[in-house]
Amino acid sequence: MADTATTSGKTEVWRTRAVVRRSTRAWRVRGSAAVVLVLVLAVLLVPPFAQLDQQAVDLTAKLRPPSWAHPFGTDDVGRDLLLRCVYGLRVSLLVGVVAAVVATVVGTAVGALAGALGGWPDRLLMRLVDVFASVPHLLLGIFIVAMFRPGVWPVVVSVALTHWLSTARIVRAEVLSLRSRPYVDAAISGGASRHRVAVRHLLPGVLPQAGLAAVLMVPHAVWHESALSFLGLGLPTHQASLGTLVQSARGSLLAGDWWPTLFPGLCAVVATLAIAGLAGAWRERLNPRRRSELML
Amino acid sequence: MLELRDVTAGYDRRAPVVRGVSLTVRVGEAVGLLGPSGCGKSTLARVAALLHRPDAGQVVLDGEPAAGWRHRAPRAQRTSFGVVFQQPRLSADPRLPLARLIAEPLRANGRPVDAVPELAETVGLTADLLGRRPHEVSDGQLQRACLARALALRPRWLVCDEMTAMLDASTTAALVGVVEAYRRESGAGLLAVGHDRVLLERWCDRTVGWAELTSA
Amino acid sequence: MTPPTEPTPGGTVLSVRGLCVRFEMRDGSYVRAVTDASFDLAAGECLALVGESGCGKSVLASALLGLLPANASVAGSAVLGDAGSGAGGLDLLAADERVLAREVRGRRVGLVPQSPVAHLTPVRTVRSHLDETVRALTGTSGPDGVRAAAGRAAFPEDHLDRHPHQLSGGLAQRAATALALVGDASLLLADEPTTGLDRDLVERTVDELRRHTGDHRALLLITHDLAAAGRIADRVAVMYAGRLVEITDAAAFFGAPGPRHPYARGLLNALPERDFAPVPGLPPELGALPEGCAFAPRCDRASEACATVPELTSGVACHHVAVARA
Repeated sequence: MADTATTSGKTEVWRTRAVVRRSTRAWRVRGSAAVVLVLVLAVLLVPPFAQLDQQAVDLTAKLRPPSWAHPFGTDDVGRDLLLRCVYGLRVSLLVGVVAAVVATVVGTAVGALAGALGGWPDRLLMRLVDVFASVPHLLLGIFIVAMFRPGVWPVVVSVALTHWLSTARIVRAEVLSLRSRPYVDAAISGGASRHRVAVRHLLPGVLPQAGLAAVLMVPHAVWHESALSFLGLGLPTHQASLGTLVQSARGSLLAGDWWPTLFPGLCAVVATLAIAGLAGAWRERLNPRRRSELML
Repeated sequence: MLELRDVTAGYDRRAPVVRGVSLTVRVGEAVGLLGPSGCGKSTLARVAALLHRPDAGQVVLDGEPAAGWRHRAPRAQRTSFGVVFQQPRLSADPRLPLARLIAEPLRANGRPVDAVPELAETVGLTADLLGRRPHEVSDGQLQRACLARALALRPRWLVCDEMTAMLDASTTAALVGVVEAYRRESGAGLLAVGHDRVLLERWCDRTVGWAELTSA
Repeated sequence: MTPPTEPTPGGTVLSVRGLCVRFEMRDGSYVRAVTDASFDLAAGECLALVGESGCGKSVLASALLGLLPANASVAGSAVLGDAGSGAGGLDLLAADERVLAREVRGRRVGLVPQSPVAHLTPVRTVRSHLDETVRALTGTSGPDGVRAAAGRAAFPEDHLDRHPHQLSGGLAQRAATALALVGDASLLLADEPTTGLDRDLVERTVDELRRHTGDHRALLLITHDLAAAGRIADRVAVMYAGRLVEITDAAAFFGAPGPRHPYARGLLNALPERDFAPVPGLPPELGALPEGCAFAPRCDRASEACATVPELTSGVACHHVAVARA
């Protein structure tokens, strides 16, 4: 790429490298943001405003393939799958977001305490993390939901309690690294209390990392909810979630009807990719070398 | 008077980098501590500023032994030191604009922050730079802000650990000039740690080599 | 690839003409980091590029190596190799990334990095670094090549199996220099090679760089350390706010009659062995340069003449020096 500009009477030919990469990245971010926006608006606005009943059974129209009237087709009792997917995504995202937030809060608290206190509290908390981490987390999740009746909240608790470990480790490592920075020394020398150092200097330094971990955890939690529901341990089957939709479509898939399985699965994949795309852009921004446009 | 008595310190008790070192900075005196990099002189500077707990030995401020280190040091004792480190990028909280950076010690002690413009002027920072964050200014400008922060509480001792190692000649001379002007006006003592003999001898009343300090 | 022929002593190794670098900021405006830099570098010569932090000297080095970020663009030319001798005059600014990666970096331009320990992979020994570089650049392998490469930078053979963190600052610097020398490049580019080193080590490092320059290489030493520059440079280029304001013989610059540009004089006088007095004020923002001479706001000789940008004539860009000579 070259363009010309005239300064002080001389014509300069400007050359630059790698323009393409920058703009494709911008488009990827915009695409992800648009998809996330559409999904969020759909799950927030369609259920309260659309005068449609997702549970409306129409046995005369069961297992219709996709058409204009039913873009995603209908299921084995004639319910519209597009509407079921919107309700399913609503429940799945709710579970995902709440579980991710709870897991991040727990993980950040444990990690920050361990990193800031050091010594035996650090060792104790980190051994606790190791104990949790030594059990496969899907297994632990199944164990937790199995203790309760099927419903949304046991699934949230189960996913949250199995996912705070990595956040705790990330936050602890970050706090340990920040704590040894000279700017913390300077704050202590300036008379800052322990509380002030933790709240003003350490926590703001780790929150972006923790926030990023939370966003990346949302799709992961959605998949966990789907897995638990698919195994029949998560949500009751009449409650639409992406997992229960796929689970109840198993029978029709064997008969060759693909759409009741494909569309809920596609919803989960698209939501995951879009959220991960946004999180990727955020991670780029966190990188301090990227933050500065001028290299001096 | 700032006295370091028989200080042994390091990061591993079995292999301390500072062994039995004693050093005195008299009231208003500027002492240069000269040594090769990695010899332990920065550790000694951190001990002197009550930022690192020594394995053995004492730090005595005007006849009164230091009561603790880091947060365990009484606020009055630890704020009687202004410290400036070698790398301004690591010494500045990356999220704080320079004005907040300079005001941080004032806020931490509940003092009014209206002294900030004057502090900034002392170190030669212009008003338009005060709203910027560390990644938007040069190393030299950031180190000026770090020096202003060190002076904010009007400390009785300044500890400058390789303050000018990353800086060009003009900025070095400017920062040393600021430190000296402050010392003339306040009578503060100085412990300047570095490896540049020419600089320390020009700057300080007396310069001590690391080797003489550890052999004594 | 034909091996670049060895430049003859005195032949031009690098010829930079009208080099400009600008960065496009997020709001669409441009910041000029380097403006209209022109200089020549001959074989056997060491040119020291000095200036305050943020004056654009490191950007210039990155431009020569094609290592600028995506929002930067360049203008002008930087021809490597003697165009007249047929050694292949290659414009570094116009060359594409493949040419730069395969033929230039390491082979025709050796980079001595700012922080040698960060430049080396922490989990690999010095021997494995050298071995890989020797194999990649010369096509030969085996212990002889590695020993020869280490020997050239006076890196002790019994330290070859150490990892970077086990080396002292001086040895790490020698390891990095050994790597830079493997490709037998005709141009050595040293970007702040002495930051954070002790005075003794600074002197040893620059002396070694000077020794490697020999008769057939050119050395571009980018530094804020005037003492280091004065020790080894043949010529000095002073950069201020993205422009070269003085290029002159090092002996004249550091000795008599001294620098001619007021900024260069101020910078030199700031040294603790001289007046130890700073140049008043701060360097201007590259994004908001004053009209005309960028140094005028800090200059005690500023007059109306300074409202225009002074041309670099006979080695100095200052209205007053030019007037005095006329």
